[in-house]
Amino acid sequence: MTSHSEMPGGRPGPGTGPCPPDVDLNRVWLGVAAEVWRRHPGPAERLAGRALRSPGLARALVATPSLLLGWVLASAVVLVAGILATLGTGTPFVALFAPAVAAAGIAYAYGPGIDPAWELSQSMAVSDRMVLLTRVLAVFALNAALGLAASAVSGTAAAVTFGWLIPMTAMSALALAAAVITRSASAGAAAGLAAWAITVLSVHSASGQLTAAVASPALILPYLAVAAACGTVAWFATRVPKGVS
Amino acid sequence: MNVELTDVTRRFGRTQAVAGVTLETGAGVFGLLGPNGAGKTTLLRMMATVIPPNTGRLRLLGRDPGGYGPRREIRRRLGYLPQSLGYYPGFTVAEFVEYFALLKEIPPDRVPQSVATAIERVDLGSRAKAKLRTLSGGMLRRVGIAQAIVNEPELLLLDEPTAGLDPEQRVAFRALLRQLGERATVVVSTHLVEDVGAACSEVTLMDAGKIVFHGTPDELTARGQGPGAVGDAPMERGYSAVLTAARAGSGSASAVA
Repeated sequence: MTSHSEMPGGRPGPGTGPCPPDVDLNRVWLGVAAEVWRRHPGPAERLAGRALRSPGLARALVATPSLLLGWVLASAVVLVAGILATLGTGTPFVALFAPAVAAAGIAYAYGPGIDPAWELSQSMAVSDRMVLLTRVLAVFALNAALGLAASAVSGTAAAVTFGWLIPMTAMSALALAAAVITRSASAGAAAGLAAWAITVLSVHSASGQLTAAVASPALILPYLAVAAACGTVAWFATRVPKGVS
Repeated sequence: MNVELTDVTRRFGRTQAVAGVTLETGAGVFGLLGPNGAGKTTLLRMMATVIPPNTGRLRLLGRDPGGYGPRREIRRRLGYLPQSLGYYPGFTVAEFVEYFALLKEIPPDRVPQSVATAIERVDLGSRAKAKLRTLSGGMLRRVGIAQAIVNEPELLLLDEPTAGLDPEQRVAFRALLRQLGERATVVVSTHLVEDVGAACSEVTLMDAGKIVFHGTPDELTARGQGPGAVGDAPMERGYSAVLTAARAGSGSASAVA
């Protein structure tokens, strides 16, 4: 630890050595260090910073685990497998995979289960709820875009192509609520995946169609109800308690 | 006053962590002592706006943290080092400090200079570009201190800041604390009585969620003088004597200076 009056790292202080006495070497060094250590935000972060009008929120957004390149590539690989399965069998597997991929991504977007400095994050001026909202919307939008692209490539019928967007919303909200309540991203992802698998299989056994879970208009309202209920639970669970002050 | 607590309580289930604490403090280094489970960390978390009190009145930097706007303003001017701070292993020291500088809403054009200053103040300049996963426990603690002071906070809350620091670093850290305390309120929760003696102008001793002593380090030391006192160092004897008296029911109220 160093005080302001002395030079870090044992460097000579002002007024010593060949340097003119009126030059504040400490200030000069800090200016140099600031430039050397400065991180240059990438295009995505700069764009997000302008759109969100908050450099802090933009930084939190690009640090989202499920928006990092490795995660996005893994999601793309799953959807490519879905495309191949769709093209090979004629069954629109992309529509069945997309909600599951999104639910896992949402669960790993935010929360104490994935943020080692969670306690500290809760004392920051940039509200953790804003971070939640921004990250969830970004992960959802990215997964929706990937899913739509995969559906287009696989040549799925239009009704099925868009049919998975609403169940994807419901499963994402369910995964988020579970992750927030259990404080575990893995638990949230597991809840989303399990719920989607149960839904697909139970609807399949009732209707005889594997794609009925994404193609049946009768399920739209239940999906919306689940999405609304789970979204409310997640919002309530992440509120800042009023307390008494 | 930067910190004003009036009869503040906090309960977790059946456990009364903080039981009616009243405290006021302005600029200076303020030591918070007490045994495990005394309520120090809970009190610090309330002051850090992480959790609200169940009852009582809390004002920080002249504002009520119950509302969104005042709480955001307090947080911009707050530095907090939690007891157990996790780190992002893939971040460098500079990236970690910068991340929290941005979340504290320091103007972006001032962030690089603030980050460099904070890193140099904890003497980590030579490791600024090192990944956090390569650092020792003591170095990580100093990274935590750097993020806490990056915004030149007016209220700095440090929970066990010297845990993991070697003796030389602890001595340097106390000097840094004294320097910070010249214009800010620095609240240090610690088990280490010698840290309080060396760096703090005021000390509060908590036990079972209550304040059982409030005064100067010298006044705490004076409590340990006389026959029957135990402990190795003068202030530790005072610490033990105050706790013993409080637990014997000789009045937490009367023990408060």
